[in-house]
Amino acid sequence: MKIYKYIGIVLLAGFAWSCGDDFLDPVPESAVTSDAYFENDEQIESGIIGMYDAIQGVNSNDLDDNFSVQREYYITEMRSDNTRTKSGEGEAAQFENYTVTASNGIVANYYISFYEIIYRANLVLQNLDAASAAKAGAFEGEAKFVRAYAYFNLVRLFGDIPLIDRVIGPSDKETAYTRVAKDQVYDLIISDLEVAIANLNNNYKNRASKAAAQTLLAKVYLTLGTNYGEAQTLLESVMNSGYDLEPNFQDVFYTEGNDEVIFAVGYTSDLVSDSQNISAEWLNSVGRTSGMNYVTTEARAALDEFGGDRTVYSYRQDAAQPTQYQVVKYLPNGDDNLGIQATSNNPELAGNDWIVLRYADVLLMHVEAIMAGGQETSATAALNSFQKVRNRAGITTPVTSITKQDLLDERRVELAFENHRFFDLVRFGVAQEVLSKYSDDNGYGFSATDLLLPIPQREINLSNGLMTQNPGY
Amino acid sequence: MKIRFLTIFIMLILCQYSGIAQDTFMLSGTVTAKSDGVPIPGVNVLVANSNKGVVTDFDGNYSISVTKGDKVSYSFIGFTEQTITVSDQQTIDIALEQDLEELDEVVVVGYGTQKKTSLTGAISKVTNEALDQIPTSRVDDALVGQVAGVNIQATEAEAGSAPTIRIRGTGSLTGSSDPLIVVDGLVVDNDFLGSLDMSEVESFDVLKDAASAAIYGSRGGNGVILITTKQGKSGKTVFSYQGYTGLKSAKQSDAYYFSVAETAAAELAFAGTLSDRTKYLQKIGIDQDWQDIIFDGGKIESHEVSARGGNETTKFSVSFGYLHDEGVLLTDDYKRYNARLKIDTKVGERFSFGGNLAPSYTNTRRFDGSTHDILRQPPWLPLYHDENTIQYVDRNVYPDVQIGDYAVQRHFDNYDYYGDGSSLIDISDTSNTNPGAKVLERDQNDYKFKLFGSFYGEYKIAKGLKFKATLSGDYQDTRRDRWQGVLSSRNGAADASYEVSDENRIHIATENYFTYDRTFGKHDVEAVAGFSAEKWDYEGNSSLGTGYTSDLIQTLTAATVLSELDSWIYAERFQSYFGRLNYAFDDKYLFSASFRRDGSSVFGMDSKYGNFPAVSAGWRISQENFLINSDAISNLKLRVSYGYTGNKDLNTGNDIIDLYPALSLLGPSSATIEGSLESAYIALNIANPDLQWERSKEINLGLDYGFFRNRITGSVDYYNRTSDQLLLDNPVSSTTGFRSALVNIGEVVNSGFEFELRTRNISNQNFKWTTTFLASMNDNELTDFADSNGQIQFVDDKRAAEWINLEGQPISSFYGWVVDDQVPLEYLQQPFWPVGGQAQDVYVKDLNGDGLIDDDDKTILGSPYPDLVWSVTNDFQIGNLDVSFLFQGSHGAEVRNMGDQYLFNHFNSGQDFDPSITPNQEFIREKIFTNSIVQDASYVALRTVNVGFNFPKDVTQNIGLSNLRLYVAGQNLLYFTADGYTGFNPESIYETSPTTYGYQRAGSPIARTISLGLNAEF
Repeated sequence: MKIYKYIGIVLLAGFAWSCGDDFLDPVPESAVTSDAYFENDEQIESGIIGMYDAIQGVNSNDLDDNFSVQREYYITEMRSDNTRTKSGEGEAAQFENYTVTASNGIVANYYISFYEIIYRANLVLQNLDAASAAKAGAFEGEAKFVRAYAYFNLVRLFGDIPLIDRVIGPSDKETAYTRVAKDQVYDLIISDLEVAIANLNNNYKNRASKAAAQTLLAKVYLTLGTNYGEAQTLLESVMNSGYDLEPNFQDVFYTEGNDEVIFAVGYTSDLVSDSQNISAEWLNSVGRTSGMNYVTTEARAALDEFGGDRTVYSYRQDAAQPTQYQVVKYLPNGDDNLGIQATSNNPELAGNDWIVLRYADVLLMHVEAIMAGGQETSATAALNSFQKVRNRAGITTPVTSITKQDLLDERRVELAFENHRFFDLVRFGVAQEVLSKYSDDNGYGFSATDLLLPIPQREINLSNGLMTQNPGY
Repeated sequence: MKIRFLTIFIMLILCQYSGIAQDTFMLSGTVTAKSDGVPIPGVNVLVANSNKGVVTDFDGNYSISVTKGDKVSYSFIGFTEQTITVSDQQTIDIALEQDLEELDEVVVVGYGTQKKTSLTGAISKVTNEALDQIPTSRVDDALVGQVAGVNIQATEAEAGSAPTIRIRGTGSLTGSSDPLIVVDGLVVDNDFLGSLDMSEVESFDVLKDAASAAIYGSRGGNGVILITTKQGKSGKTVFSYQGYTGLKSAKQSDAYYFSVAETAAAELAFAGTLSDRTKYLQKIGIDQDWQDIIFDGGKIESHEVSARGGNETTKFSVSFGYLHDEGVLLTDDYKRYNARLKIDTKVGERFSFGGNLAPSYTNTRRFDGSTHDILRQPPWLPLYHDENTIQYVDRNVYPDVQIGDYAVQRHFDNYDYYGDGSSLIDISDTSNTNPGAKVLERDQNDYKFKLFGSFYGEYKIAKGLKFKATLSGDYQDTRRDRWQGVLSSRNGAADASYEVSDENRIHIATENYFTYDRTFGKHDVEAVAGFSAEKWDYEGNSSLGTGYTSDLIQTLTAATVLSELDSWIYAERFQSYFGRLNYAFDDKYLFSASFRRDGSSVFGMDSKYGNFPAVSAGWRISQENFLINSDAISNLKLRVSYGYTGNKDLNTGNDIIDLYPALSLLGPSSATIEGSLESAYIALNIANPDLQWERSKEINLGLDYGFFRNRITGSVDYYNRTSDQLLLDNPVSSTTGFRSALVNIGEVVNSGFEFELRTRNISNQNFKWTTTFLASMNDNELTDFADSNGQIQFVDDKRAAEWINLEGQPISSFYGWVVDDQVPLEYLQQPFWPVGGQAQDVYVKDLNGDGLIDDDDKTILGSPYPDLVWSVTNDFQIGNLDVSFLFQGSHGAEVRNMGDQYLFNHFNSGQDFDPSITPNQEFIREKIFTNSIVQDASYVALRTVNVGFNFPKDVTQNIGLSNLRLYVAGQNLLYFTADGYTGFNPESIYETSPTTYGYQRAGSPIARTISLGLNAEF
């Protein structure tokens, strides 16, 4: 019967479905595999861009995402006397109260984020063999700059930390959980930055550059207090590299890639994947919080006294709650009174680049390097650098000598709300004194152990006893 | 169609009076049961190869027009069919013999069926007798309490959402612990249960022990649920309608309603006076329960029409269904349209083939909010402004607010209570928009189209030997969209957005196998051998539109910025060889062995294949000579089985990692460099090329019994299942650059007992009463967790309540400090602010007595797994009236009810203790870190009630129907929770990893339904 013929075909079709050798090995189409990647310069460069992607962080509210630098202000500015939460609630208030707990999610997120940056840098370094001779040096320098940048922040915030200088797997628990002495971390930072300085030029502002590495290394030396002369040389080298102060202070934060920027984290407005919600959170109920990084009375007093023209571009009254004051740097939705345009349709998807290193910082560090740990300087080179910063702020009265306090105050108002204050206080050796007074005045609970953040409880728990906590937590 | 059948029917009646023609005459008689001589109503009397057929009336009488030589068959469920050839006799009385084989119901076992009496594994069968009358939108919801050892929990109660199904406990850690679902032979994903209409289902067969499930090899580790859809029967085509409509409402929590009045009374009692704020709240005069607003209840209705019939060679079934469930939450809504066509036909003696095609479409509107977020809103806040509330609006800040607008807490601030400007009162505790607006102004939908198809051909090669080839598949297209309206956020149009994604999946499977079934004297041999191959191809895309200025056009068209444009393609492959041999000697000694070898594309080169053998044996003691004639012991069988199954499902939350975990994957990303986006490639996972099958080995000891001519039947099973080399997305140190990595680690043992007891208490013509009692007890123990033993984890790092995974304990245990005492009100900063607020802290116990509270004082606070789950069903039949009800209960599980923290505003600074006056502060900890919010999740529920009336045949025949049933059904009409449980659904579990199980965040409430249903057949 004819029908049997069709039946036969159906039965055969069942068998005929070829179960070839590769049937069980479908190739992923929406991803690549690492054994087929990092084979040429272009591919390695995409790994380099991946490092910056990690620094950018993810603009989301998902606790499993790495917010990275986007929430850095919590653990720097809000732990200093510059800012606080608007209404003192939730785990964010732990920073201003100095009651940070080891299970604080913002701290854990920063720790995880910055080790991710380090991982991505290590991944590039691991694959350098595949780079062309022409590019290998620059790639190495770039990866090492990024790694040093991440470690420098971690070591200042957490103290002794695990030192990961290669890609490690989950079974390498010894390396993952052993806290290495700060000195060793700094050794790696310094050697990484030296490689970066040797191998990089000044082509980028959103990527590593020689000047960025020099500036960072100078800051490392200032932090260690060991090598002021070298710091001064490095900074002077930057000062001869074509950077300059932006004539109008406000333009620094609204003109992307201006002359003053040495290294900034790039963002693009209105794209979830490439925008930031740093500054939306600083407004009243515009971001995901009711208001963060609100300006303290102390910071306002300093800006009023020393800020000059910078003051109006640094803080303003909160229109919705007139007793409160907001930061105006990086405003995502602009300010008509100040002539600032909105940078995005949705303020939570802001596009303002976040400046990590800028020329004013270089000039003020130059003063610091010349002061070399002393209390005062009247060296001409220092006076020139200092005056340059003040002139831009409209404070043109010539300075004849600079005390350590002058310099600290100047840094405070020039770099206000740019995540410098906490580190400056520590570096200048006055953190305990200043923050104790600030804490007492405001009824907070500062003690000396609050200068280091806790190692995230997550890591302590996972380490099964390998990892020790910082004192006071 | 209906007219034609009516015509036939009328003709048949007319024939009765038309006198006797030459060849055609009326045959009549009575059908009785041979055993007791009682007449049987409803027996199908059919004339072969004709359209002619009648059913016996209430007294067993029938009358049918026949021609000499016709073959007339008499059939009725539970009796052996009899066929007679008509001679000249005009009266034939038939005594039908009870079908013993029918008592031994047939069970679907995977690649075949088996008589229940021959089973050697632990398999439970649920036949859809009245399950389709339970007013729930999903088939799995209706299975609650139907099978011992199967725990079905309404973990998420949004309309149409899937419950959590666990067969014999949780064995897997990352992987999914969901059972395998097989519909008419095709393995489908669990989501398929959401598009299946219960009216289409003939039966469920649940393979519980490893030996039974091992024929599904690597995928049988969590048990298998085999679903068989209805098929037509030869004879007259039966048209049927089944439908019901009902009302749903939510079980609310009394604890979660706090009123201004209560707070004011407490404040007055404590302080002697009221604060200005409280006075202001009283003046506003609103004291509503937000549960009333977001648990708005709804209707549920379901309609199904079908036609089933056929003849000796071809049988068919066609059905269409529609269901609409409005759910109990605000905005949630579920609609399902489904159809099924099933045809089986024989060609000659040797060949048969058939097909089964079932399209379905579901549309789910989600509840786009979270109850914990909404219910923590104060009772004084209305949904909309009215004449009363508008007068409190702070006009300086909100000049444009009008009556009918959403009320926002901030509107009520800066109120000049005394009218003299002496004090402006703020009462807002959030800047958020109205919680109702968040839900109502968002529109989130899932649209799913699915097409299930299965075709087979079967050829009889020789006596007892057949070959069957099937080609089946399912296609699934899922479109999701989410509109976030202008008013849904405090930022207005800036936050308006539209997200849309579309994913489709094609799954194709071919299975080819031989079956052999012969009896040689006392030897019964049954064998299966074959192979199968399956593939899944996934493809999808998504996009996000922002930059809207209004709600007018809610599609991408009106977006000014398009971003997050993405598309993806994944594939999965699977290939297997399988075989099974069943041997029975003298129907007494039963033996079965099976083997399956599975290969999966998920695993790496060296671990692609896994082998899953099983053996089992049974002894039917009641067939032995010394018992064969016993009336007291009518059935007694011992079973023992041992087998290996597996699990390959990963659930990291990232599909690409789940499908290619052995590979080190890099995915695209981007970073902004000097103003432009540059492409980045970033590592997605820590690859594990050695990742392999999770493996379970299980021993099952079972006893089936039947006493007093099977008036009492049932079974007892003991099982012990050890699952090792568990697949786990294990947290790792973040210094690796990742948070977690997939590993095979550890061992979990689930062991327990299952009881089934079915009794026919009373059984006579007018009154029948049967009872079914099911119980299962499961004990879950983590027996090995390598160097992760003692791992402590939390779900939400802002509310870091801890779980511990400790050997010797269940997989997850709640961990923390033990409450010693409450912090008295006088030490709180503002004990009566906000309304309903409770202290966030408690005094905890210094367990080791060292004078301080630290990690060493933490202990295990409870377990999220139930110890005992039971159900009791009683069915009564009184004449044409029947009543059945099912009570179900669960005991021993606890939940960490984080809802308390949100709803009682634990985190509000007003609820903090005052550090300047509170004694013994060093013994104070936040409640979330203690057993304060670990609550007993036990419950007892009246799951289903059904009261129905079957109209007598004489009534139905007058209106042209063969069957008519009217019923009222209820679900969860009674629901009791344990003391100390504060929420509205003890079954609700927020989805986290299995190592942090039992997290409840208010969740969604238990739905109560009462419905009216109608079934009609003609």
